[in-house]
Amino acid sequence: MLARDEALKICETVLAHARGAGAEDAVVSLQSAVESHARFADNRITTSGRSEDLDITATVWVSKRRGSITGNDPGADALKRMAEDAVQIARVSPVHREYVPTLGPLTYPESAGFAPTTADVDFKARATALEQVLTACGSAKVIGAGFHTARASATAAATANGNRRYFRSSEAGLSVTARSADGTGSGYYSADHFDLAVLDTKQVAAQAIEKALQSRDPKPIEPGTYPVILEPQAVADLTGFLVNSFDARTADEGRSAFSAKDGKTRLGEKLFNERISLYSDPMHRELPSVPSTNEGVPASRLTLIGSGVLENLEYSRFWAQERKREPTPGPVNYIMESSQPPASADDLIKGMERGLLISRFWYVRLVDPRTIVLTGLTRDGLWWIEKGKISHPARNLRFNQSVLAMLAPWNVEAIGASRRLSPLMVPALRLAAFTFTSISDAI
Amino acid sequence: METAPVSRRQFLATVSALIASTYVPAWAEIWQPGPEDAAKRAEMAEAALARATALGASYADVRVNRYRRESIATRERQVQNVSRSTSGGLGLRVLVNGAWGFAATNRLEPAAAREAADQAVAIARANAVLASRKVVLAEAEKVVATWTSAFTRDPFAVPLDAKIAFLLELNATALAVSGVSFVSSQVLFVDEQKYFASSEGSRITQRLVRTYPQFSTTAADRASGDFQTRAVVDRAQLVGYEYVENYPWRQDAEKAAHEVVEKLKSKPVSAGRYDIVVDPSQLFLAIHESVGHSTELDRSLGWEANMAGTSFLRAGDAGKLRFGAAIVNLVGDRTQPGGLATTGFDDEGVKADRWHLVRDGMFVDWQTTRELAPLIGQQRSHGCLHADSWSSVPFPRMPNVSLEPAATEVTLDDLFSGIKRGLFIEGRGSSSIDQQRYNFQFGGAVIREITNGKPGAMVRDAAYQSRTPDFWASCDGLGGRATYRLWGTSADGKGEPGQTNAVSHGCPPARFRQITVLNTAAV
Repeated sequence: MLARDEALKICETVLAHARGAGAEDAVVSLQSAVESHARFADNRITTSGRSEDLDITATVWVSKRRGSITGNDPGADALKRMAEDAVQIARVSPVHREYVPTLGPLTYPESAGFAPTTADVDFKARATALEQVLTACGSAKVIGAGFHTARASATAAATANGNRRYFRSSEAGLSVTARSADGTGSGYYSADHFDLAVLDTKQVAAQAIEKALQSRDPKPIEPGTYPVILEPQAVADLTGFLVNSFDARTADEGRSAFSAKDGKTRLGEKLFNERISLYSDPMHRELPSVPSTNEGVPASRLTLIGSGVLENLEYSRFWAQERKREPTPGPVNYIMESSQPPASADDLIKGMERGLLISRFWYVRLVDPRTIVLTGLTRDGLWWIEKGKISHPARNLRFNQSVLAMLAPWNVEAIGASRRLSPLMVPALRLAAFTFTSISDAI
Repeated sequence: METAPVSRRQFLATVSALIASTYVPAWAEIWQPGPEDAAKRAEMAEAALARATALGASYADVRVNRYRRESIATRERQVQNVSRSTSGGLGLRVLVNGAWGFAATNRLEPAAAREAADQAVAIARANAVLASRKVVLAEAEKVVATWTSAFTRDPFAVPLDAKIAFLLELNATALAVSGVSFVSSQVLFVDEQKYFASSEGSRITQRLVRTYPQFSTTAADRASGDFQTRAVVDRAQLVGYEYVENYPWRQDAEKAAHEVVEKLKSKPVSAGRYDIVVDPSQLFLAIHESVGHSTELDRSLGWEANMAGTSFLRAGDAGKLRFGAAIVNLVGDRTQPGGLATTGFDDEGVKADRWHLVRDGMFVDWQTTRELAPLIGQQRSHGCLHADSWSSVPFPRMPNVSLEPAATEVTLDDLFSGIKRGLFIEGRGSSSIDQQRYNFQFGGAVIREITNGKPGAMVRDAAYQSRTPDFWASCDGLGGRATYRLWGTSADGKGEPGQTNAVSHGCPPARFRQITVLNTAAV
């Protein structure tokens, strides 16, 4: 992984070549990363490796014509050729109508989400940790499978207008699936953190094992509309589709869930339950992020949903220029939380007369972008709740459900504490209605 | 921001301006591997293999690969992005004490290759503590060969101007249809230059060229806030630029434009059970999800339990379990012309194979690798090991999986003719299937009613749901050879860390009886 000086030197070298070749504006960005992982199943490590790579991208403009080249060879000849090829592409391209001059000098804080231990995995220590996971699975007579990963990267950029930035970030994660020996139960749990040392591998294994044991021998439930409790993982599995809908341009163009009639958007409307807030914050203590958007705009706290109201959409630098406003300082991560003290997992269950407790969703896909209708299936833990207690495990179900309807003011009954599931932090939710359309035989 | 249709004259003026500056990229020459490149690759590979063997690896293989991609994206009358990327490096896999280790580096120097060997062996040794079973590989021939995919025009030698003109003409064609609000189009060209060497003596050089055109049209009604999209995204093939020149893309764009306008005005589907005829442009995806993934042996053995899932098929089912109706024959095929997963040799040097997965409706065989084949008592791998990059660990990936057509010349009209109340489903909508590949739900891009054997009005908001064995059991009609088409997906995800695989599925249109159809806007 390249240090600041090494990374910026490469960027500036390419920048100088691009200028020499005739570029009037340019941005050179770089990512240097090292990644180590181990997958396990079948009571052994199935695949495991380490890789290091470097990606350098030069984007240049000549008479507002744009060209871009990416390569991973930091040799002197390759850097020169990259810049020259980018300029050649620009010269024969039509005018880039969405050209916005590159950023000038700006100040950025250090990224808070980096731990050196994550960059340098001790293979023996990892094997010992995974041995403990597999031993725990064996003791519980479940079959364990999972994935341990640690990645550290440095990103840097230099522009012809004088912007220089460099950030380091890291992320470690462990996920475990435990399946009962009779094949009727399955549990999953995952955790991640920017510091590998903080990852609690035993807790992840214990949670997955518990879910596997408690989900054995499920009974069928008729498809239909039921009250549900979504654990944070299940909320995370759906929230990705919500956050993909915040693009201002798509909404302004009339082809987004946040488009309104007569060419307007739904900004300012109370579309969600008033206790729900969704914001981005690069300095969030639990989920820090690189303090810059991909375009180099310094990131700061940005509220997308405040007390249930759609407060902001995401404006790129180009679209902000078109709309004569500032680009948004994010989002760079997504934190959903309740404005009221969170309900505990027990309280969420105690407060439910009858309904379903859902661990996780699988193969979630967008069916209708107009209302963010999604389809997918429950997986690795589904239970029927009766009179405030877990009654029995249920067979998996396919759902078809609008995310807007799911988070609507009238549908959210209770909100739990938010949990980090990078790049999200999301709470458990108790919802009045959620629609299932068929049963799945899958365990 | 809606755009008015562009006139043919305006369009030609734009294209002429572009063509005036014809440019063949310098990298067309730079990328032709010469003797020096071959020698450098061999030097890296030999350094890594020698070090791994010296450190105690019982088996090692190394891939020294270079990939280049060119991507052009447009919307309406403008070019959004022209980008090229190259990526080269070395990935080494070793077996030590029956456990795997892997290391990869972008630094193509002998010292870095030896460092990678040190790391791969250290990883394997550390992990061998957990090896409850030692890895055993099926026999494979020592191969020294060179293989190149079939193409007649190298896309990387075609001037950029021509490619831009192609996309802008697609956009102009679609925008000329009244009611079309937006259109975007992209083309991606991929060139994989792969060198494989193993401690068993195989040395294989391969080159694969793929061409990926795609486009999407949108009709938006600003007054009501309603909109619909018709995308054509699954036409990529293992071919060269001749695909851009020879296929009637403009006709497709014009058809898609008319379809999206009709779709915006179409009525919602009535939920219920229908006889459905599924076009190859949609059926390929049903094959991919329900057959392609369920017949992966690694899934059945639980190796993918933590991510993609397992399979409803079990190791002992081959030769015993009925998969579908007797007319259903499905083959795994890494030799299929144009197929995205077609290759000369897989990523452990096994020659490309063609074999039946389902014969006469019976499930008969699996997708295998050298590690998987012995676990079900087979002596040879079917050649399904693949990595999406030099930096990725090779693991079992899907070959082209294709449905054989009827022996006689059955037409699409023949398939419609037996239906009183049905639906004809074309193109990609949303798709979702459970982790054991039983329960699925697929939409479509264009869905029309079939009434008394005739296709008619378009309907919207429809998706069909079924269960894999029930779905294939309900198949009672297949199109003939003349209706057979090859469609494919360029980004099939699997594994941790996630890797993508490009894979094609050939099929005729097929008829399925009494399938559940939802109105997705009414749920």
